[in-house]
Amino acid sequence: MTTGAERGARAAGRLALGLALLALGCAPGAAADWGVADLMRSLAQVKEARGRFVERRDLAALTAPLRSSGTLVYVAPGHLEKQTTKPAPESLVLDGERLTIGKIEGGPKRVLNLPDYPVLWAFVESIRSTLAGDLGTLNRFYRVELSGRESQWRLVLVPIEPKMREVVREIRIDGRRDGIDTISVFESGGDRSTMTITRDAS
Amino acid sequence: MSRRWPWPVLAWLAGVAACVLVVARTEFSTDLSAFLPRSPSPEQQVLVEQLREGVVSRLILVGIEGDAPDKLAEASKRVTGALRRDARFSSVDNGDDAAIEADRDFLWRNRYLLSPGVTPERYSAAGLRASLQEDLQMLNSPAGMLMRRALPSDPGGEMLRLLSQLQGAARPATRHGVWFSADGTRALLVAQTRAAGYDIDAQEHAVAAIRAAFEPARRGTGAKLLLAGPGVFSVYARERIKGDALRFSMIATVLIGAMLLALYRSPRVLGLALVPVASGALAGVAAVGIAYGSVHGVTLGFGVTLIGEGVDYAIYLLTRIAPGAPARAAFERIWPTLRLGVLTSICGFSAMLLSGFSGLAQLGLFSIAGLVVAAAVTRWVLPALVPGAFRGPRIAALERGAMSLLAWAPRLRVPALAAVLVAGAVLVAHRGSAWSDDLADLGPVTAEEKSLDGQLRRDLGAPDVRHLVVIHAADRDAALAACERIAPALERSVTRGWLEGFESPATSLPSRETQRARQAALPPAQELRANLQKALEGLPFRTGLFEPFVAEAGAARTAAPLGRDALDGTHFALKVDALLVQRGAGWAAMLPLRGVTRPDDIAREVAAAGGGSAVLVDLKGESETMYRDYRREALAHSLLGALAIAVLLSVTLRSAARVFDVLAPLVAAVVLTAAGLLLVAGKLSMFHLVGLLLVVAVGSNYSLFFERRAASEQDRGRTVVSLGFACLSTIIGFGLLAFSRVPLLSAIGSTVGTGAMLALIFSAALARRGEPRPAPVHP
Repeated sequence: MTTGAERGARAAGRLALGLALLALGCAPGAAADWGVADLMRSLAQVKEARGRFVERRDLAALTAPLRSSGTLVYVAPGHLEKQTTKPAPESLVLDGERLTIGKIEGGPKRVLNLPDYPVLWAFVESIRSTLAGDLGTLNRFYRVELSGRESQWRLVLVPIEPKMREVVREIRIDGRRDGIDTISVFESGGDRSTMTITRDAS
Repeated sequence: MSRRWPWPVLAWLAGVAACVLVVARTEFSTDLSAFLPRSPSPEQQVLVEQLREGVVSRLILVGIEGDAPDKLAEASKRVTGALRRDARFSSVDNGDDAAIEADRDFLWRNRYLLSPGVTPERYSAAGLRASLQEDLQMLNSPAGMLMRRALPSDPGGEMLRLLSQLQGAARPATRHGVWFSADGTRALLVAQTRAAGYDIDAQEHAVAAIRAAFEPARRGTGAKLLLAGPGVFSVYARERIKGDALRFSMIATVLIGAMLLALYRSPRVLGLALVPVASGALAGVAAVGIAYGSVHGVTLGFGVTLIGEGVDYAIYLLTRIAPGAPARAAFERIWPTLRLGVLTSICGFSAMLLSGFSGLAQLGLFSIAGLVVAAAVTRWVLPALVPGAFRGPRIAALERGAMSLLAWAPRLRVPALAAVLVAGAVLVAHRGSAWSDDLADLGPVTAEEKSLDGQLRRDLGAPDVRHLVVIHAADRDAALAACERIAPALERSVTRGWLEGFESPATSLPSRETQRARQAALPPAQELRANLQKALEGLPFRTGLFEPFVAEAGAARTAAPLGRDALDGTHFALKVDALLVQRGAGWAAMLPLRGVTRPDDIAREVAAAGGGSAVLVDLKGESETMYRDYRREALAHSLLGALAIAVLLSVTLRSAARVFDVLAPLVAAVVLTAAGLLLVAGKLSMFHLVGLLLVVAVGSNYSLFFERRAASEQDRGRTVVSLGFACLSTIIGFGLLAFSRVPLLSAIGSTVGTGAMLALIFSAALARRGEPRPAPVHP
């Protein structure tokens, strides 16, 4: 079993390695060939992915960070499930334009029609459209910037809509090849959350 | 040149002048009111009010389709912007932020007065602690992102509770910031006019304003505009009725005029032939105007049909004038028979006069007044106007042809009998399922319009409301309080699965009592702060975070209660105005139900909870019952009318055999026509029944003339020819109506066109030519 800290250290190591390679000029050829379109294509190849997540939130309203953990399931192209097991069970199921929120298995559920919640919609699309390799939808909500290389990339998403910008300043998604490792959300009020994902071997 | 007019002509001129004066002051209506009962039950009253002036009647549903969604959304925004500046609309909504912002702002500002969650328990220390723990969990999920800003002012989550209440109501999907159909092909708007739905002039202006707003918005796109709603359809129906009435009367006039011109070869005589019809139509409109205050457009359209019927009288007279004989003499001969025909028709139409369905009653009055005047003008005025030099038409060849046809006609008896027997069997087989009881089938709305309306309503997630709980109370606040008392019973019914959900005006505008109870549930500032202090122990919230909450709750405690005015500019105003209406001295509240599966059980619960002031109304069921009642009544009246005709004939003709001779062709024609319509149209409506009455009225003239003993062979020939032309004019007048787009007109047209022809054929086939018979007795 690996701890978050160990994973963090490993990720930092990979990042350092990537930067070092860039600095050494070993990568220019590869960088020129590989761009957002390539990343999206390889992400779109993934038809199903499962994994565990650990999330940490640092909120201005609170004196201590909030932590949660659980599982993630993605089925191409539009289904995303986030089952939180700790500290309290909660499920979020995204299907098309419907987001279903349930506190406990079998308990009452709230169904949100995403177009009615533009901010929430923009937010969930940052994850789902990235997983689906759907650059069109990403571009609708965000200015998309890619850095890094295929083996270690970073997407920076900056909201286009002023309303969304009032809530979210920037979303950073780090990944390797066709998988996502971390999603960091920087909110306008100074709140911040980081979700670290470990993919199940498929 | 001085000429003394006989007094009937002077009286006629005076009558025409009086009628013109009356008609000039008469209003013409085309709304649904003629198709609604005159003395409704309280449940029907709800239906009638909703149809006439309720908010429902003021809604115009707008669809914009035919281009890419972003173009359609742009057009939707421009149309909405233009219409929102138009004073004729009380609200225009396309789902854009402006309206939603206003709603959220209203909910946010008044959350402590509006939320059912505001109870003393929730704002005790324990209640607050439970809320805060929930908040903490919420903050730890993506949805928490949206509540972070609200948290310091609303730890109790009242705003979320209010928003989730809204979720229950079905709403259309949103794309590019505006409402769209689920498949994204059609942008949607809802406009509400200030004027009531029955004010068709105002509705017409509103429709024109929407079209005008769409014109610039459409430019450069392939977008098309779709309009639906009661007001829009009333406008279309009026245009259609006007158009059809005008077009068909013109065509009928031209055709019948051409026929008469060919027959009489004199434009002047042609003009004379139209005098009784025109006088009759004028008198009919005037009579309806005096009796009902206004004349329905459909009644007017029906006037067209009188051309077919009333012109017959002139034909009977003018065709019968033998060469060399004065007009008056010709008339003396046919008057008794014609008078009997008119009386027979009046018996038939009296049935309609008694109908509780005001559209039918108007038609009845129109017909009776029209026929009486047309006959009287033919009898007393026309002979005086016929020029002395007028010679009856030279129709010897036609007479010979008619006589040989007549000689041949009895061969039709066997096939006719067979056809009538088959038709009778068809009617018997279809009895019980022969009648269409959908009120909408009667109205002037076409099937395409109905389907468009249904489509847009589905798109908007606003299906036609079928079940309503209606509550009566002394004033607005009492009505709201009654809604709040009923709500728990309905919620229980939702839990039991008897219905999916319901809406109540009290959700957006709670009664004063409830608002005061919620204010009292909030503790005073000091106590609230202490409760909060206790609740926060051990939780990781920053100190002083909830100061805004303490301040805002304090303000809510002493705020003035919300009145209807507070809702202005939000969707809630629209909803409350629709569901809460002044009725006479009191107020009525309506709670529309969705997805009802067990109406009887709900009705019981509602009655128990409402203590008699609340009832469940099934609008569709109510309208069907209403229509079925009127149809049954019309049928009963028709049978009475038929009985009256039989009595009239028995008294006048004083011979069972002669009564049979007159009635048999009519019964045969009615049975065969009814069976034919049933086979072609599938169902019969009340208007087919009216048509059948007209068949009896018109056809009785034919059978009476055939039955009448002729003075000579030549006289008989002229009679047959005049009947042939009279029937032809009826077939032209009514047959044209069969092509009308107005269901009522086409139903009557096809029925009478077919029936009149059959009545003539059967009359000829059954005529006992040459058989000895006592001289006719005319009282």
